[in-house]
Amino acid sequence: MEPHASPNRDHVSTDITTLPLIETVTPIDQDALAEQVAGCFEQQRPIYPLGGCTSLGYGLLPRQEGIGLSLAGLNRLVDFPARDLTVTVEAGFPMATLAEQVAEEGLQLPIHVPQAKEATIGGVIATNWNGPARKGYGTIRDYVIGISAVDGKGLPFRGGGRVVKNVAGYDFCKLLTGSLGTLGVITEVTLRLKPIPPRASTQVVPLDDLDQAEQLLCSLVDSQATPFAVELLSGDSWQDSPGMDSGSPWHLAISCCGTDDEVSYMVGQLEQELVDQSLPAPRKLTDDEHQQLWAELVEFPACPEAPLVIQATVVPSGTTTIARESRLLDPACSIQAHAGSGIVIVRFSEFPADGLSRALVGTLQPVAAAAHGNVVILSNPSGREMTPRSVWGAVPAPLTLLSRIKNNFDPADILNPGRFVYP
Amino acid sequence: MANTVVTEVIEPLRKIVGAENLLTSASERIVYECDGFVVEKNSPDVVVFPTSTDQVAAIVKACNEARVPFLPRGAGTSLAGGCLPVGGGVMIVLTRMKEILEINLRDHYAVVQPGVVNVWLTQALKGSGYHYAPDPSSQGACTIGGNVATNSGGPHTLKYGVTVNHVLSVEAVMADGSIVTIGGPAGEMPGPDLVGALVGSEGTLAIVTRVWVRLTRDPQGYRTMLGIFESVDDATQAISAIIGAGIIPAALEMMDQGILVALEEAFQFGFPLDAQAILLIEVDGLEAGLDGQRDDIIRLCKETGAREVRMAADEQERLKLWKCRKQAFGAIGRLSSSFCTQDGVVPRTQLPSIFKKIRATSEKYDIRIVNVFHAGDGNLHPILLFDERNPDEVKRVMEASGEILEACLDAGGSVTGEHGIGVEKIRYMNKMFRESDLEAMRQLRDAFNPDNRLSPDKMLPTAGACGMEQIHPGRRAAL
Repeated sequence: MEPHASPNRDHVSTDITTLPLIETVTPIDQDALAEQVAGCFEQQRPIYPLGGCTSLGYGLLPRQEGIGLSLAGLNRLVDFPARDLTVTVEAGFPMATLAEQVAEEGLQLPIHVPQAKEATIGGVIATNWNGPARKGYGTIRDYVIGISAVDGKGLPFRGGGRVVKNVAGYDFCKLLTGSLGTLGVITEVTLRLKPIPPRASTQVVPLDDLDQAEQLLCSLVDSQATPFAVELLSGDSWQDSPGMDSGSPWHLAISCCGTDDEVSYMVGQLEQELVDQSLPAPRKLTDDEHQQLWAELVEFPACPEAPLVIQATVVPSGTTTIARESRLLDPACSIQAHAGSGIVIVRFSEFPADGLSRALVGTLQPVAAAAHGNVVILSNPSGREMTPRSVWGAVPAPLTLLSRIKNNFDPADILNPGRFVYP
Repeated sequence: MANTVVTEVIEPLRKIVGAENLLTSASERIVYECDGFVVEKNSPDVVVFPTSTDQVAAIVKACNEARVPFLPRGAGTSLAGGCLPVGGGVMIVLTRMKEILEINLRDHYAVVQPGVVNVWLTQALKGSGYHYAPDPSSQGACTIGGNVATNSGGPHTLKYGVTVNHVLSVEAVMADGSIVTIGGPAGEMPGPDLVGALVGSEGTLAIVTRVWVRLTRDPQGYRTMLGIFESVDDATQAISAIIGAGIIPAALEMMDQGILVALEEAFQFGFPLDAQAILLIEVDGLEAGLDGQRDDIIRLCKETGAREVRMAADEQERLKLWKCRKQAFGAIGRLSSSFCTQDGVVPRTQLPSIFKKIRATSEKYDIRIVNVFHAGDGNLHPILLFDERNPDEVKRVMEASGEILEACLDAGGSVTGEHGIGVEKIRYMNKMFRESDLEAMRQLRDAFNPDNRLSPDKMLPTAGACGMEQIHPGRRAAL
């Protein structure tokens, strides 16, 4: 059984008209892409790399006219030595196709992203996008073992290789993770893979309030069950989801995976631990319900209809505080928190009446900062108040260092100019 | 004594750290002339032992003012010359910054100074249900700051990953003396993953002065097995079969007959001395799953030709097995006065062919080679035995090492899985990477370390580097 199938979704925000594009070009291979970038460098013409266009709303709105550089021509599977548990693909390879192909050998890249049919591996790395399984499986940075890219001068470069252990040279796999296409256009990657566990299961616990949620989350620190996902859910978006109790404002969905014996043990153990602590009994989902809820957990952050979607990243103990503050800001918001990892995603029901400077910069960002974290905007279709501070929060890296790196890799500032916070 | 330029920096340094934290005499400095890579040696002109981040920053500023090169050092257990003071200069030894500053179980992290010894953290966590996962064989001596610099691995990386997978954030002193904090204990932050880029940069980008590391849940139990094989080929087939079956052991190590003889002499474990290869296989996790995995592994080993699969009877026997494995290099002295270890990596499925190559190389150069290595990761540690008084043998060891590493590259691998480039493997960088790759690496280094005064002449074959020619193989005592 494929425990984490991604669903088909028909609402896909791939509207490239939000970008100031003069034209879009689609290089047929990596050499052609490098030539294209080198040409743009000579002409000082901005480039907007385009993968599956599922994250165009992420980041500041670019203003300079430039060309769209589509990765659609770089969509080849380069090498799949399944018994080495690695795969090499070009950057434009779609995530859903990747999942299907490696699943044929019983393997997975345990990174679950919304709109996986469109989303590309290059885009996922560039945006450092990670789904609900990160508690158990880590994030995309843990899986990229080799990377090829082209810098802003047209210089092709690579780091890492095709082996799972390698410390030769600087780790460009890491440097380019989260780099938002601003240091290089990713062209090819090698990924390590994991076996698909034979079984996965989800239990849903209804909760009266966030204090109860925090009690349960604290108890999981010492729990003998070792879930790979712990999701705190609240709001209208979840009311029809499997396992939800209409009388409870908050739910925790706890997912385990492993062999039959392991999953049975963890399910029983969790039930017992909740009883011991006088917490509400969990409801175990059927396999179909688990699949359905999992698909919803993966897709939640991608919601073009939502007037504002934000993501807070804090230490895990800050999760409930962020959830509480978000609820105060917008009583009708919907919340999904990867509570085991301190990631809180909030879909606002309306654009904050007080504006983003009050709601985010003045309220949520300081709360996140107190929990060693930050708040960023995932999407804001109105485009209102998209300032460096509201969009990116307080980036915890020295800006002078970031701008020196940027300047060395992209001296003409042509790669995705204006999207990130470089001075 | 140091050259005049360096002499000028001594007084300012003494004011910063105090006379008790500064060494200038030749007899004291000689201790710091090399790390575990003892082939190339050069004493630093001054050694300082800062006790705070502010002191590190002040030292770096003083070096910059005097235009003197400087470099950080932990316990010096690295194996590729990463903390060799090429060209001299000021060595900043971080072993007196050795506090565990915070342990936070709710949020699964700890904050440590760079001089904290790796095993101290796991000892401090004993009984908490958590541990710090990276466990290099030198963990009783090596520091976490050094682990960050070299992105250390260890036997349990197969399941748990290497150091970079466990570092959330660092505080560092930059090459200009400024103090920065990158990332945070919450982990992923917007923008390029600079924490990840710093880990494994071998001290050439910044000096790490504080580290936020992730803590890992202790497994409920272990099953530790010894697969005994009549041939190395069968053993390597078993490795592929186990991982191909979807089992990721916590550790999967291989030892060949040559090393077993030395281990048995040293530890009297009861290894079968007629076996050609032994696999040390450990699975960990929930008790509910362990017996099933154990049975699968035993079956797969037998199917691929294992003569016998033994279980560690109890925790005591398990610990003894790991002691044998982690101290394997100490036992080599029983085989040879000198030895040289390589650190190549190949895709796991290439293990049988690389072993044939190692055997052929051994015969071709008439050099005895024994093997103990991280088989599950495809990370080889062929150990070439020789007598350093025999110049011809020394030359053959060098050629044989080079041939093995080139075969690793031909097989799609790397010249170093965990020991690093340092000064030892600089000459392989342009075999493994294109000039444009190295150019991009220089771009990154220049952004952090524009004057190249921090750890110069390491890792990258820089134009104008002094380029010490390696004429002698290494004699290393750990991995």
